[in-house]
Amino acid sequence: MGALAAALLLCALASLGRVCGAAWPTHTACRSGDLEMRYQSCDPLQDFGFSIDQCSRQLKSNLNIRFGIILREDIRELFLELGLLSKGESIMHISYPICEEDLPKFSFCGRKKGEQIYFSGPVNNPSFEIPKGEYQVLLQLRNQAWALVACANATVVGL
Amino acid sequence: MASHVSCFLLALLFFASCSIITSLNQMCTEKEANMTYNCENLGLREIPDNLPNTTEFLEFGFNFLPTIQNATFIRLIDLVFLDLTRCQINWIHEDTFQRHHQLNTLVLTGNPLIFMAETSLNGPMSLKHLFLTQTGITNLEFIPVHNLENLESLHLGGNHLSSIKFPENFPTQNLKVLDFQNNAIHYISSEDMGPLKQATNLSLNFNGNDIKGIEPGAFHSKNFQSLKFGGSLNLSVILTGLQNSTAQSLWLGTFEDIINEDITSAMFEGLCDMSVESINLQKHHFSDFSPATFRCFNRLQELDLTQTHLKKLPSGIKGMNSLKKLVLNVNDFDELCQISAASFPSLTDLYIKGNSKKLDLGVSCLEKLEDLQKLDLSHSNIEASDCCHLQLKNLLHLQYLNLSYNEPVGLQSKAFKECPRLEVLDLAFTHLHVNAPQSPFQNLDHLHVLNLSHCLLDTSNQHLLAGLRDLRHLNFQGNRFPDGSIPNTNLLQTVGTLEILILSFCDLLSIDQQAFQSLQKISHLDLSHNSLTGMSIEALSPLKGIYLNLGANSLSIVPSHLLHILSQQTTINLSHNPLDCTCLNIHFITWYKENLQKLEGSEETVCANPPSLRGTKLSDVELSCAITPTGIFFLVMFLFLFIFLLTCSIKILLRKRYHHI
Repeated sequence: MGALAAALLLCALASLGRVCGAAWPTHTACRSGDLEMRYQSCDPLQDFGFSIDQCSRQLKSNLNIRFGIILREDIRELFLELGLLSKGESIMHISYPICEEDLPKFSFCGRKKGEQIYFSGPVNNPSFEIPKGEYQVLLQLRNQAWALVACANATVVGL
Repeated sequence: MASHVSCFLLALLFFASCSIITSLNQMCTEKEANMTYNCENLGLREIPDNLPNTTEFLEFGFNFLPTIQNATFIRLIDLVFLDLTRCQINWIHEDTFQRHHQLNTLVLTGNPLIFMAETSLNGPMSLKHLFLTQTGITNLEFIPVHNLENLESLHLGGNHLSSIKFPENFPTQNLKVLDFQNNAIHYISSEDMGPLKQATNLSLNFNGNDIKGIEPGAFHSKNFQSLKFGGSLNLSVILTGLQNSTAQSLWLGTFEDIINEDITSAMFEGLCDMSVESINLQKHHFSDFSPATFRCFNRLQELDLTQTHLKKLPSGIKGMNSLKKLVLNVNDFDELCQISAASFPSLTDLYIKGNSKKLDLGVSCLEKLEDLQKLDLSHSNIEASDCCHLQLKNLLHLQYLNLSYNEPVGLQSKAFKECPRLEVLDLAFTHLHVNAPQSPFQNLDHLHVLNLSHCLLDTSNQHLLAGLRDLRHLNFQGNRFPDGSIPNTNLLQTVGTLEILILSFCDLLSIDQQAFQSLQKISHLDLSHNSLTGMSIEALSPLKGIYLNLGANSLSIVPSHLLHILSQQTTINLSHNPLDCTCLNIHFITWYKENLQKLEGSEETVCANPPSLRGTKLSDVELSCAITPTGIFFLVMFLFLFIFLLTCSIKILLRKRYHHI
């Protein structure tokens, strides 16, 4: 009887979680022989889709990515905030402008709240090698008013 | 039986918790009482009852309204702005906005519209802005034309339109903005442009449409505020198609994710047959950059060549006498002289921001730009050991100079003597070497604004700011003073005209009493993010009626004799200080509560001591430090008892002593 009650409670909590917005599922952005990238949306309002076309520890320059999201904010200006952690310790933090008033780098710059974006194309990154190990990456996209556009907790595993 | 009971309880718990959550969800945010509300992301299926009838601005995006009709918004007849972004609207039925005479803006972005009734937009007296972005429209006939006579902007981006041809009866006379971004428009004919004849000074946006052809004459003798063809693959098609038209600005830039062929000089031939004031060509590659490229640019006033992979501009460009503004941001120059400035003698604004290489300012590279008023050289890896009189030679009319975010720069006395009319000088985050007692800003009689934040300056140099006769705004954030203290004799004494002074993040521990004596005109003083204590407030006694920011300091106890100094100011921020909420600080706490209207950031102004009150807002603290009547009663009783016991013991002592006598 106790087991039944516990099961019911668990079930109730689980459905509560679903109804009232729990964590989004963890997705795999890429997986290959020596590299794996997983991510989870940390925006309480929504999930988003992301993938990388090639996946190896020796990352090539100008990677092609695919990205799909619904905008909940205008992106006249858009900034990427990227924090890299290893074993809980911060290794580096990068802030990178994606859309600026005087330099909209990508064709989606300037889109409005409510628009659905699907981006498939190069991201103009330098090539670099990912050392073996596990890394946590915190990604945030923020707009001109510093409102959150997208948020991801990612794990990169170099095998 | 018991299991049933527990199941029931669990179910009850589940529903109870969920109903709490849904009822919480119902709460819209009030942004302006009875006027402006935000109800986004609440999963609402109707207008909540608690929304007042007087609501004028309503953000209702990301809710669930499959059908909207006459009854949906009937209560809110004062609506001026209604945002229904992504509400999964399929149907907009007859007379939905019949009673909304004030409605001015309607946002329907991202709704999968199936049908809009003929009279669905009737009602508003003056509907000015209509957003139909990403609503799945394939044909412009979809939009009900009744009641669009006053429309000023129509947003149709992200749909499936292949033609821009409006129905004949579509009213366009008041249209100022027409946005066709990211559609499938490949061809523009004269017939398409016909219905837009009545519109004047229109801004047309065709970004993200691959225009493959424009019928000759389609834009004939038309006048535009702006035309955007961003990301178009074939520029010559566009420029040829725009023959005999006039546009204030023409945006022909491209993007990282679009692969364009290189631009050739021949592509600009079409520009000779049209009249444009401003052109943007960002992110293009030029294959044969030569003076001939600019043959048809002769009437241009503004040219933006941001990130066009330029290493130099060709010398000997002729006929660009009318160019006033040139943007060369994010290019690959090695030396400033490579921009061949002499080709643009009338230039008033020049931007070379974010140069990818180390930019050498050279000598006199801009001396032919006698009319130059604005120069932005920020983020360009500039390094100079002795700046800037040779580098900025002959810029007699320069008013604005931005050298922020560069490599270390050395400044001598009168470093800017070649630009005596400077009004704004921004050197933020550029490490400045100034040897004492040099005065680099000497002779800048017109300088109003000086940003020296994070310049790692030697603040013991008393003459650093000498000669700034009319300086009103000084940002000195992030510079350190010796021993963390501003002494009585300091570099601020030479700038008595200051109105705004920012000294945040300067690692200050104290300010000497007379330090601000000369600052008679200050109206805004920011001392936040330092380690100042209550004692430093004394230095603020000469200041009256100012905005004072003392946030994020080490203020704990504020002595009562200094409170009048705070009282004489207009607005004060004391947030994020380790304030003491014991009786030692009772005068300050009383003062704080009496002056709440003057205080900014009171949500973050909290106690740090005693531990029991840590985190309590200062405005909520109740302290009773005075002695109450009961206290006085007990004190008197105690005294009586004490005197009584004393007399008793003296008596006993005396009796013992003299007993044997």
